[in-house]
Amino acid sequence: ADPIVIKFSHVVAIDTPKGKAADKFKELAERYTNNAVKVEVYPNSQLYKDKEELEALQLGAVQMLAPSLAKFGPLGVKEFEAFDIPYILPDKTVLRKVTNGPVGRKLLDKLESKGIKGLAYWDNGFKIMSANKPLVKVADFQGLKMRIQSSKVLDAQMRALGALPQVMAFSEVYQALQTGVVDGTENPPSNMFTQKMHEVQKHATVSNHGYLGYAVIVNKAFWDGLPGEVRTNLEKAMAESTAYANMIAEEENVKALEGIKASGKTQIHVQTAEEAAEWKKALQPVREEMAGRVGKDLIEAFEAEAK
Amino acid sequence: MKFLDHLEEWLIATLMAAATLVIFAAVMHRYASGVSFLFPITRHIHMAWAQELCIYMFVWMAKFGAAYGVRTGIHVGVDVLINRLSPSNRSKFILFGLCAGALFTGIVGTLGAEFVWKIGHTDQVSADMEIPMWWVYMAIPCGSYLMCFRFLQVAVNFIRTGSLPTHDHAHVAGMEEEEGQDINWFQMQDGLHPKDVAHNEGAGTKGSGNQNGEKH
Amino acid sequence: MNAAIIFGLLLTLMLTGMPISISLGLTVLTFLFTMTHVPIEAVALKLFTGIEKFEIMAIPFFILAGNFLTHGGVARRMINFATAMVGHWHGGLGLAGVVACALFAAVSGSSPATVVAIGSILLPAMVKQGFPNRFGAGVITTSGALGILIPPSIVMVMYSVSTNTSVGQLFMAGVVPGLMLATLLGVTTWYRAWKFGYPRMPKATFGERLKALKESIWGLLLIVIVIGGIYSGIFTPTEAAAMSAVYAFIIAVFVYKDMTLKQVPQVLLSSANMSAMLLYIITNAVLFSFLMTSENIPQSMAAWIQGHNLAPWVFLLVVNVLLLMAGNFMEPSSIVLIMAPILFPVAVSLGIDPVHFGILIVVNMEVGMCHPPVGLNLYVASGITKMGITELTVAVAPWLLTMLGFLMLVTYIPAISLWLPTALGMR
Ligand code: NA
Ligand code: NA
Repeated sequence: ADPIVIKFSHVVAIDTPKGKAADKFKELAERYTNNAVKVEVYPNSQLYKDKEELEALQLGAVQMLAPSLAKFGPLGVKEFEAFDIPYILPDKTVLRKVTNGPVGRKLLDKLESKGIKGLAYWDNGFKIMSANKPLVKVADFQGLKMRIQSSKVLDAQMRALGALPQVMAFSEVYQALQTGVVDGTENPPSNMFTQKMHEVQKHATVSNHGYLGYAVIVNKAFWDGLPGEVRTNLEKAMAESTAYANMIAEEENVKALEGIKASGKTQIHVQTAEEAAEWKKALQPVREEMAGRVGKDLIEAFEAEAK
Repeated sequence: MKFLDHLEEWLIATLMAAATLVIFAAVMHRYASGVSFLFPITRHIHMAWAQELCIYMFVWMAKFGAAYGVRTGIHVGVDVLINRLSPSNRSKFILFGLCAGALFTGIVGTLGAEFVWKIGHTDQVSADMEIPMWWVYMAIPCGSYLMCFRFLQVAVNFIRTGSLPTHDHAHVAGMEEEEGQDINWFQMQDGLHPKDVAHNEGAGTKGSGNQNGEKH
Repeated sequence: MNAAIIFGLLLTLMLTGMPISISLGLTVLTFLFTMTHVPIEAVALKLFTGIEKFEIMAIPFFILAGNFLTHGGVARRMINFATAMVGHWHGGLGLAGVVACALFAAVSGSSPATVVAIGSILLPAMVKQGFPNRFGAGVITTSGALGILIPPSIVMVMYSVSTNTSVGQLFMAGVVPGLMLATLLGVTTWYRAWKFGYPRMPKATFGERLKALKESIWGLLLIVIVIGGIYSGIFTPTEAAAMSAVYAFIIAVFVYKDMTLKQVPQVLLSSANMSAMLLYIITNAVLFSFLMTSENIPQSMAAWIQGHNLAPWVFLLVVNVLLLMAGNFMEPSSIVLIMAPILFPVAVSLGIDPVHFGILIVVNMEVGMCHPPVGLNLYVASGITKMGITELTVAVAPWLLTMLGFLMLVTYIPAISLWLPTALGMR
C-alpha cells in the first residue's frame, strides 16, 4: 500500500535545532512504522510562510508543524502568550514542570477546538538581551529601540523597561542592528550566534528573562484518522525527537554563548541575582497588564509551578 | 454602473495614498523616538500596527485594482502567436481568453467565499491589529467576483463592437507635445496584449496596428 | 511526468493570449482538481497570503514614486545636468542621455519608466540637433534598461520575493554592474558618434554646470534617500520606497510645481492600476510555485542535475539561453516569477551565490526588454520616435551587442556583483 504521507513544514533552516529535530522525527517515524508513514520535511518556508502555516494546517493542506508558541494568539488561543511573560519561567526545572505537566497539557488541549492536536513542546531556549551599550540596570533601556517579534506581551515588556519596541521580521534583524534601525534585541544565544548578530552588538546580558519555544502540532482530523498502531509508533518517535530537540537546543545555546564570547565582539554580562530582582520588579506590571489577555488563573498556575 | 466604476477607482486610489501615508508616519515616528526630548511623547504612540495595516490595504488595493485592470485592459499576456491570426480566428481566441478569465475569477471568488465562511467561524484575528481575519480575507471573494464581472462585461462589449479596452494610439502618438506624460507602458501595443478586431483588421498590414505593432 | 503536464498546460494556455496571471491560475486549478491531494482551500489562502509580505509592498511604492517623478519635471532637470557635464564630448546629447538614464534609474524602479521619462524629452531634442532618429532611439532604449539594474529595482524585489534573497543585498549588488553597463553603453555611444561625426554641444561653463546641478539637486537627493537610506539602515527597502513616493510627491507638487494637486488622484489611480496588475501576476505565480514545490519538482530537478555532475558554468549558460528565449515572448516580472523559483534551488545546489544569480537574471531581463518580438523598452521607444519595430531593432543592435557582452561578464565574474555588498559588510 502507499505510505501515509505527513508533510511537515517549518520556517527555519535545516541546520537549526528545530530543523534537525524535524529530520530526526522523519527518520524515527519512518523506522518505527516500517515505512508505513512517509514524512516529507519542507524547511525554510518552502511550502508555507510563518503567517499562513497554521491556516494551512487547519485546512489539512499540511499535516505537521512546529510554530513558535506566540503564533497561537492570533488563532484565538491567547493563553499561549503566557510563555512570553518575562521571568514567568525562572529556570529549566520549572519549564519542564510546565511543558511536561498538566499546565502544558491543558494548553495544548485548548487547540483541539481549532482542529489542532498538540503533540509536544520543543525548546528554542531562554533569551538574552543585547544592545550596543551595557544592559545592567533597567534605566539602561531608556529610549532604546528594541526589536521584538510581533507580540502584545513582548511589546508590554519592552515598554515596561522604558524601551520602544519595534516589530520586525527575524530575517531583517541583522541589517537593522548593523545600521542602527534598531538598537538592540532579545534572542536565545543560538539565534543570536547563527544570525551573526553578535557581530553588530557590543553588549549582551544573560538574563534568561524570557523563553522561546515551539509546539509540535498536527491536524486533528488527520491524527485521529490514523490507525491506532501507527499513532502509537508516531507518539514514540515524537517523544524521542522531543528529547533530542531539547538536548541539541541546549547544546547549541551553550556552544553559541561560548562562540559569542570567543569572537570578542560582544561583551557578555551574566546578570546577578540583585540585578534580576530590579528587572523583575520593573516587569511585574506586565503580569497584571496581561492577566486580562492570557487569564489570571493561568498566570497563577505558572507561578504555582515555580514555587 | 458609473457609480460602481467610480467607487472602484476611488477605493484603489485612496488605498494607495493611505498606505503610503501610514508607512511615512511609522518611519517618522521611529525617528522622532530617536530624539530624546520627543521620546516621552512618542513612546505613548503605538505604531506596531502600521506594517500590517499597510499590507492589508495593499492586498485590498491589489484585488480591486486587478478588477479595474480588466476594465482598462492592462493585464499582460503572450500574444506573439494570436496577433498573427486572421481577425475572425483571433476574436475566437480573445473570447476564449476572456471567458477563461471569468471562469478562473469566478471559481476563485467562490473558493474565497467558502474560505471566508470557514474563517468566520473561528476566532482568528490578525497578529497586530487583532481585527477578525475574515474581514481581511473578504478581499478575495469581493475582488474576484468583481473581476469576474469585469471579464464578462469586456467579453459582451467585444462581441458587440469588436473592440477591447486597451491603450489608445493617439495618446502615445501625441507624446512629444507635452513632456513627462503619464504613459502607461503596459497598455501600449506591445506584443503583450491581443490586438482587437475593431481597430486591427488585417494580420499586421493594414489598420492602425502598424504604427506601434510589429512588422513581420 | 507531472512536471511535463504542468508546463505543457501553462504554455498552451499562455499561447492563447489570455493574461499570464490567468493562465498561471488556471493551470494550478486544473492540476489541483484532477491530480493532487492538496486541498483546494489552500488556493484561497495562498491567493491572499501570496502577497502578504512587507517586502512586496515596495513595488507599488516604487511605481508611485516613479509616476510622480515622470510627471514632475525631475527627468528634465536631470537631463540638463547630464548635458552640462558630458554634452561637449563626442555624442553630446546621446552621451547625456546615457548619463541621464543612469541618474533616473537610480530613483526609478522600472525600465520602461526610465525610457519614457528621459526619452520623451531627449529624443525630440536630439532630432532637432541633427542626430539621426535611430541613433537616439538606440541609446535610450538600451540605457533605459538600467532602470532595473541600478537600484531601486522592481524586478529585484520580485526575485527576492520568489527566492527569499535579501532585497537590500540585491540592491547594493546592482550598483557596480549598473555603473559598469552605463559606462559600456556610454563608450558605445561615444564611439559611434565619433565614427559618424555626430554633433557635440559647446562646453558648459562652471557656472552653467553649477546652475544645472542646483536645479536638479532635489531629484538627485532622492538617490541619496533611496540608496543611502537603505545602506545606512535608516530605512528598510520598503520604507525607502514609501519615503521616496512621499518625497517625489512633494518635489513634483510643491518644489518644482510641475504638477498640480488636481493631477494627484490620476497619478494614484494609474499607479494603482499598474501595481495591481503586477501584484496579480505575483499572486498567481506564488500559487504556481507553491504547486511546483508541493509536487517536489524544483527539488528533483536539483537532484537530477547534481546527479549528472553538471558544471556550474554549463548550467549558467543554459540559464542565460533559457531566459533570453523567454524574453522573446514574456515581460520581465512574469519571467522572474515563473522561472526563478524553479532555477534557484538548482543554482544553490551548484554553489552559485543567490545574489550573483539574481543580478544575472536582472541583466538577462534588461536584454529581453530591448529586442523583439516582445520588449517593453522597444515599444515605448517606438511610441516616442514613431519608428517601426523592425527599424528600431536595427537601430538598437550595436548597444544590444554591448549588453550581451556585458551579460557574459556578469555571468562568469561573480565579483562584479558581489564585491560591493561584501565590502559594505552586508554579507
Ligand atoms: Na532603478
Ligand atoms: Na524581448
